[in-house]
Amino acid sequence: MLRIDGHAYRNCQGITRRSILQIGAPLLGLGLCDLLHLESHAAETGRSASKKSLIVFWTDGGISQQDTWDVKPSAPSEYRGMYQPIETSVPGIVFSERIPCQAAIMDRLSIVRSVHHENGIHAPSAHWMQTGYFGPTLARNAAKNPSLGSVISRTLGSHQPPMPAYVTIPKLEAFGYQGAVYLGKAFNPFEVGADPNSPDFKVPNLSLPAGLTETSVDSRRSLLATFDKLRRDIDETGVMEGLDTFKSQALEMVSGDRMRAAFDLSQEESALRDQYGRHRYGQSALLARRLVEAGARCVNINTGNWDHHNDIAQGLEEHLPPLDRALATLIKDLETRGMLDDVIVYCVGEFGRTPRMNGHAGRDHWADCFSVLLAGGGIKGGRIVGASEQWGGGVLERLVTPLDLLATIYQTLGIPLDTHFEDASGRPVSIVGSGRPITELL
Amino acid sequence: MIVQTRIDTVPHDGARTLIFRWLVTFAVMTCGINSQALSAPSEISPAERPLSREIFFGTDVVPILTKLGCNGGGCHGKATGQNGFKLSLFGFEPTTDYESLVKEDRGRRLFPAAPDRSLLLLKATSEMPHGGGRRLDKSSDDYRILREWIVQGSRPPHMSDPHLLRIELSPHNQILPPETSQQLKVQAFFSDGSSRDVTQQTVFESNEPGIAAVDEAGLVTTGSKHGLVAVMARFGEQIATYSAAVPFATDATVMSDIGKQLDQLEASLDSSSIDLHLLHQWRRLGIVPSAPADDATFIRRVSIDICGTLPTAAEISEYISDTAHDKRERLIDRLLERPEYASYFALKWADILQNRGAGYSTSRQRAGTTLFAAWIRDSLDANKPYDQFVAEILTATGSQNENPPAIWYRTVRKSPEYVESVAQAFLGVRIQCAQCHHHPTERWSQADYFSLAAVFARVGRKSGFADAEVPTNEIIFLKDRGDMRHPRTGEVLKPKPPGGAEFVSGSHDDPRMSLAEWMTDGNNPFFARTMANRMWAHFMGRGIIHPIDDARSTNPPTNPELLDALAREFIDSGYDIKHLIRVITTSYPYRLKSEPHAGNLGDSQTFARFYPRRMTAEVLLDAISQVLDVPTEFPGFPVGTRAIELPDENVAAHFLDVFGRPSRMSACECERVDAPALTQALELVNSVEIQRKLSHKSGYAEQLVSSSRTSAELADDVFCRVLGRNPQPEEIKSVMDYLASEPDRAVAWQNLLWSLLATGEFLFNH
Repeated sequence: MLRIDGHAYRNCQGITRRSILQIGAPLLGLGLCDLLHLESHAAETGRSASKKSLIVFWTDGGISQQDTWDVKPSAPSEYRGMYQPIETSVPGIVFSERIPCQAAIMDRLSIVRSVHHENGIHAPSAHWMQTGYFGPTLARNAAKNPSLGSVISRTLGSHQPPMPAYVTIPKLEAFGYQGAVYLGKAFNPFEVGADPNSPDFKVPNLSLPAGLTETSVDSRRSLLATFDKLRRDIDETGVMEGLDTFKSQALEMVSGDRMRAAFDLSQEESALRDQYGRHRYGQSALLARRLVEAGARCVNINTGNWDHHNDIAQGLEEHLPPLDRALATLIKDLETRGMLDDVIVYCVGEFGRTPRMNGHAGRDHWADCFSVLLAGGGIKGGRIVGASEQWGGGVLERLVTPLDLLATIYQTLGIPLDTHFEDASGRPVSIVGSGRPITELL
Repeated sequence: MIVQTRIDTVPHDGARTLIFRWLVTFAVMTCGINSQALSAPSEISPAERPLSREIFFGTDVVPILTKLGCNGGGCHGKATGQNGFKLSLFGFEPTTDYESLVKEDRGRRLFPAAPDRSLLLLKATSEMPHGGGRRLDKSSDDYRILREWIVQGSRPPHMSDPHLLRIELSPHNQILPPETSQQLKVQAFFSDGSSRDVTQQTVFESNEPGIAAVDEAGLVTTGSKHGLVAVMARFGEQIATYSAAVPFATDATVMSDIGKQLDQLEASLDSSSIDLHLLHQWRRLGIVPSAPADDATFIRRVSIDICGTLPTAAEISEYISDTAHDKRERLIDRLLERPEYASYFALKWADILQNRGAGYSTSRQRAGTTLFAAWIRDSLDANKPYDQFVAEILTATGSQNENPPAIWYRTVRKSPEYVESVAQAFLGVRIQCAQCHHHPTERWSQADYFSLAAVFARVGRKSGFADAEVPTNEIIFLKDRGDMRHPRTGEVLKPKPPGGAEFVSGSHDDPRMSLAEWMTDGNNPFFARTMANRMWAHFMGRGIIHPIDDARSTNPPTNPELLDALAREFIDSGYDIKHLIRVITTSYPYRLKSEPHAGNLGDSQTFARFYPRRMTAEVLLDAISQVLDVPTEFPGFPVGTRAIELPDENVAAHFLDVFGRPSRMSACECERVDAPALTQALELVNSVEIQRKLSHKSGYAEQLVSSSRTSAELADDVFCRVLGRNPQPEEIKSVMDYLASEPDRAVAWQNLLWSLLATGEFLFNH
């Protein structure tokens, strides 16, 4: 599995350092020193990252792990919930019956069942999961960190400008924590701004305001070229040049065909659109695939509210089947197109939900131990990482932090894990901090 | 080899560890580990030659860990450590570092029996896999020192150890030609009277690596770029700075020619003015400044900078036709008396003073932000002396309804915010690093940080309406008690300003008064200089200290004499802000062209030309409204309210957000960004708002359509209005050609106006 340089020697218990790594070093609390070495190992193997992208299903509000990927069929009914377990395509791995499409392709998915952080409030938790760091709360005046999408945008950029590197469908969520903060405004997401499932779906930022025609945009472009003669060498800060680049990009976006085509879902076969599902989840997922094909690096699908404190059955009946269908169809579609190895699909919210149902037949916020889904991009499929306690609740084994998840994603995308950016005070902040990639998935 | 460890030098609590380590060592040996090393004399490195002197943890070992980057924020120095091994950031806490290195993890990091097999050395030399790679050469002095420390018994830091008194860096200031190099030398002086060369253990960092880079060994190398550069040297907790000027011209005849040109210039300048400080620097660097800009450029520039407002075509032509010798001074006086001056600078100060509208129940919040914004504007309008302005804010007590400066305490609520806001806004210092650890590039310690916090420890709050995050309408008062403790030592700290003496005050005295007195004293090293630098940066596009709130000995002013002169002028005028603005805007560099020429190409530090910048969000939006004669409508504000007049940042305006309006989360002007972004370009290209203004029925475009004047006359009018200058003949021709090709007059003028508004020439103040 791994190659460790240097001496392979035995410690007092007669276990080689290599075998420690193979059976999962963090479990034993030993051999941590060498984990970092995997990074340089990955770099040496020259895994080309330039083609890779990320699609995120952000389950805003927090999706219930026990009604999806971490069912507890033998727990008492108030823990078990309303769904029966079903087999997946990987023997021994069981899902909830409400995600049959994912169950059928479990061999391409991996589930981390032991994600843990230490906040139970939406906004700070969203910050934690989006950025990897515990940020500000009402009582804690901490600095904000950039989101993973912004880090990806800044480090990898767009595959193909003018398609923006980082797009959110339909708009920015996660309590405002999907932004770039100190990385700079240029790395904030481009917001699609409309529901891709609506019959007259149009991107406001790409559609011209009333009274402005495409002919006029063309005229404006050529007039601008005529009159914009101020010497560019007067500005050494790069602001003027940068703005010039963005002006060209914006003009190309609103008048060029390529951008409009990327957002034009009517170019897809109707049957495929049906397969994805004629709902926000399905059409957003399909749009995400088109945007990645057209050059986007990170597309966030911010669809639905999963904060089901009351009558969770009703909420999940509304959201879970469409998410299941959209996500599974996306993965199969990517596979059919030969793109699955280049696109990571990640399904995550700010936290999970309480293992025990509350008095309102709902589940509340739970960050002690919850699940996320990862697939594609070279991440191994058919794996379960970590485990929760018998009836849910705490991490039983293999605790995974938000930074570990980011480290896994960045490493897979080919972003060096020692990347630092300076915050507003000039202090270098690591993109992964103490996070370590989940080696079992790589 | 085990026997050579000197048990007698290990303090009592260390003995158990040592014995344990010995046992582990024994166990390891019997398991066969390292048998190769123990039985292979060929592996003994040349570094085993003993050092003659005693090796101390604090002054020998820690500086090496720092130099090698082990305790940097990206490695073992970060709060969580790295791979289970944590050091204090930059080695400012040797005692805990000793614990980590020697005792923690069952002492496995050092191996006194075979020093070369210590994990510390094996990792650092990358003989064992090390995520941080190879940091140390086995044949280096650093290796020998670390090894010798282990050999000598890896003794812990002790009070009686010699400590570092100071370092000397040489040379420390020089002219360094392009494409040359200079070796720096650092000598350290210790409390036992000894001194030694520590160049190799010193960390070097250049603030302008493009002009002069410095390598690990302290060799400074200049490239083909010119300008000023500072190299920081850090050894232990001591820092020193080397400054170099890389001249633009080196050839003797060229220099002599430049000298003559500058002589002529000098003869034309007022010998008492600050201009001479610039001239002196140009002479030193062999720079010939750009020529002065024309009148049209100057009035646009100074109107934007003083009033945040474009000059009208009438104002421009009046100024150009004025032939009096003092027309520039009179223009500046007129601008300073306009209400737009107070509004525009009130906006700037509302940013710095964090008059924040977001995060509250806005309806109740707005009353407070409006009151504070109005107080700031009235203070500027009345030209309230700056020392008084700041003192009124810092020492504010009473109801926020009745004493508007007390509203500062609404956003600035706790000790990190008190300390950081005061330091950044009024002292130009970024002290926040020192909240958690000694500042890595300045002398500030945690004690400095929390002693400043102690000034505010007795700030009390009562009543106030809290329907959301932060209460409004509080009463600020002085509590009887309130302590601030050092976070590590627990010691109660007396109120003390950074770099100053403890305040002597009784229990009835407000320490904030003492702080205000200390700050506004004419000899305060920070206060006037910070304001002078802030205002210089406002007008000149870059601070003499840059960034403006980051004054450090390791980030020196590019022109110290100039900064001193400005600060002195400001103090002597009684902290007269308008006077300071007059001094800056009438200075020679402020009137220069922004276009460089062969003699100053690449200059971005000495103000040998005007540095252009994009108009800020509010100014740009107002300028577009003014040109198109259609005001922006802000929800909840009367029509005609300008963006520069808005009381807080929580007024919905997408344009302002994308163009960098700050969210007022800190006192740093850096929050207002001009970084380009796609959203800015999209806002210009296809926003509903710009199109609304272009096509408005009473707007400027429509006025052009219905005008009976000739197209050529209208082209003149349009260029003066938008760009503040007359069109060139070829520009008139382009306008005429386009008008002839577009049958729809309204569309034609809209497109022409848009294309001028989108030019760099319009978007930038240049």
